[in-house]
Amino acid sequence: MKKIDKKVADAYFREKNTYMAVYFAIWFLVSYVMVALADSLTDVQFLGFPFHYFMGAIGALLTFIILLFVNAIVGDKIDKKYGISEARNEEIGANNMINH
Amino acid sequence: MDTQFIVSMLIILATFALYIWIAVYNTAKQTSDFYVAGRGVPPIFNGMAIGADWMSAASFIGMAGTIMLLGYDGLAYIMGWTGGYLFLTILLAPQLRKFGRYTVPEFIGDRFNSKAALIIAALCTIIISFTYSIGQLSGSGVVIGRLFEIDAKIGTMIGVVLIAFYAAFGGMKGITWTQVAQYIILIIAYLVPVIFMSFHLTSNPLPWISYGEILTKMGELDRELGISEYFAPFTNGTKWQFLALMFTLMCGTAGLPHVIVRFYTVGTMKAARWSGAWALVFIGLLYFSAPAYAAFARFILMTEVAGNKIAELPAWTQSWIDTGKLGIADTNGDGILQWLELQIANDIVVMATPEIANLGVFVIGLVAAGAMAAALSTAGGLMISISSSFAHDIYYRIINPQASEQKRLLIGRISIVVATLLAGIIALNPPGAITQIVAWAFALATGTFFPALVLGVWWKRANAKGTIAGMLVGLAVTLIYIFSAKYGGFTILGIIDTGAGIFGAIAAFATNIIVSLSTRAPSQELQDAVINLRYPEQMVYKDGEVYLNDGSSKE
Repeated sequence: MKKIDKKVADAYFREKNTYMAVYFAIWFLVSYVMVALADSLTDVQFLGFPFHYFMGAIGALLTFIILLFVNAIVGDKIDKKYGISEARNEEIGANNMINH
Repeated sequence: MDTQFIVSMLIILATFALYIWIAVYNTAKQTSDFYVAGRGVPPIFNGMAIGADWMSAASFIGMAGTIMLLGYDGLAYIMGWTGGYLFLTILLAPQLRKFGRYTVPEFIGDRFNSKAALIIAALCTIIISFTYSIGQLSGSGVVIGRLFEIDAKIGTMIGVVLIAFYAAFGGMKGITWTQVAQYIILIIAYLVPVIFMSFHLTSNPLPWISYGEILTKMGELDRELGISEYFAPFTNGTKWQFLALMFTLMCGTAGLPHVIVRFYTVGTMKAARWSGAWALVFIGLLYFSAPAYAAFARFILMTEVAGNKIAELPAWTQSWIDTGKLGIADTNGDGILQWLELQIANDIVVMATPEIANLGVFVIGLVAAGAMAAALSTAGGLMISISSSFAHDIYYRIINPQASEQKRLLIGRISIVVATLLAGIIALNPPGAITQIVAWAFALATGTFFPALVLGVWWKRANAKGTIAGMLVGLAVTLIYIFSAKYGGFTILGIIDTGAGIFGAIAAFATNIIVSLSTRAPSQELQDAVINLRYPEQMVYKDGEVYLNDGSSKE
């Protein structure tokens, strides 16, 4: 066990939270805000669809999938930046459960 | 017995033989295999297993039909059932994985160091999974009913026997790899008819792009008939209902015990992140296609079925009338079937459309096998949740901590059989369409687990009393709203029973926070354990400091 500087540990947490806030802002925009505006978007056409319908059926879901992959990739990068070893994580994870 | 029956039956039997072979090959030998598959499933395969676990009869059989009948308003199901994966993958799953327990009730019991919280969480798990499984049994009733051309009720009874046997037999390890196979079967079965219909109607084999023009054409047809356009928003409910339903389905997704437990089958927080991302890709394949399926089905019914002489309707109509889910009434007595004279239940659209579109016996049989895969895989996951809550959380953790492994497995299997039988009895007369019943299960998860888990993971000050009060109040508010909206006609802002979760969640969050703050804070040890969840496995939080566990020395 090696002590990590408090500032470094806090920075890790802050960095993760900042990204999280961005993901959820985009998530809110493509779902709730789009629905709230749906009746005023009906006349806008997009790829042959009425725009509000496109966002509900395709656009929102596509954004969710992209956000989750960005989250996974960025999460790995942050871990790497702070010197976290995935092999060591696996070792600890394998032992980390209550034995019944 | 006609050719269609024989072909459908052969395809279903072949797929079942495959699942059983995989299950036998991976039989559960230990408790950890039974509940969490030994925690060694790679993220891509875990993503497929989550997909199969997740995509139930409601997604496969019910959703496209619901969208077909509701138009734009049905898209709340698409956004709601996928948007929750962000909550689950970012906000909960990795942290719950780090805490390292077998089940959701066990997390709640140990996080708050409270047996009462454990019992209430176990009861909530049983209520949610039980409600959900009513929808699955009702779905298998539709499939089996069509197959044998019998009433869906008798089909449901056959489904009960199948599912009870199937789930009691395997356990989680068998189920993980069976679910991977079930995912592949169900996605092929869903995509083949959509691609065929797309090609048939638009000469473009890519349904996801081609159905835009069909939508536009349907808007014109609707205007001619003098009904509201298919894509017009908020024609079957208020905007508030749409938003409330979407919120309920999103938060319910993040609180469903049988889905969360799938994230315990991976090794690390990193693997949990990747599992969530892959899961949504695999789920997305079906969810991108459902609105296309709905549009094609409605277009074919409007243009190729409506307008024909009732006496000359093709054979498929009679088979579906026999199941009690299709109604044809010549209300104006002209001998011709008008669009408005056709009564089609949400739950048969996916199953009936390949027949209506004349796609041939093989495709129709494949869809039946896919629907059975969807109902079976989810019912399997649900039944494991019920049995682990009962046999593990209540029986082993509370009643008899000395119980042997064999005894716990036996109790688990008995609880599966009992739960399936009880759910089957209710499914004989389903209290709603499949998507509606499943939406109630989500509303219950939104009102109970979502607030308890979010606060439990992110707010160290949340304590046992607050969480218990929150879960109970959330459960009561959700149940009361569902019943008074469905049977009493009571609504707020036009929000009906399926959107009840929003009220449950608000009540539960408020109760949890108020009660937690007005009672004693949890012990320092518990608060430290909560802060510890913010860091990856290798980082350990202790006494206000963070340490890097590099294996240099023991503790």
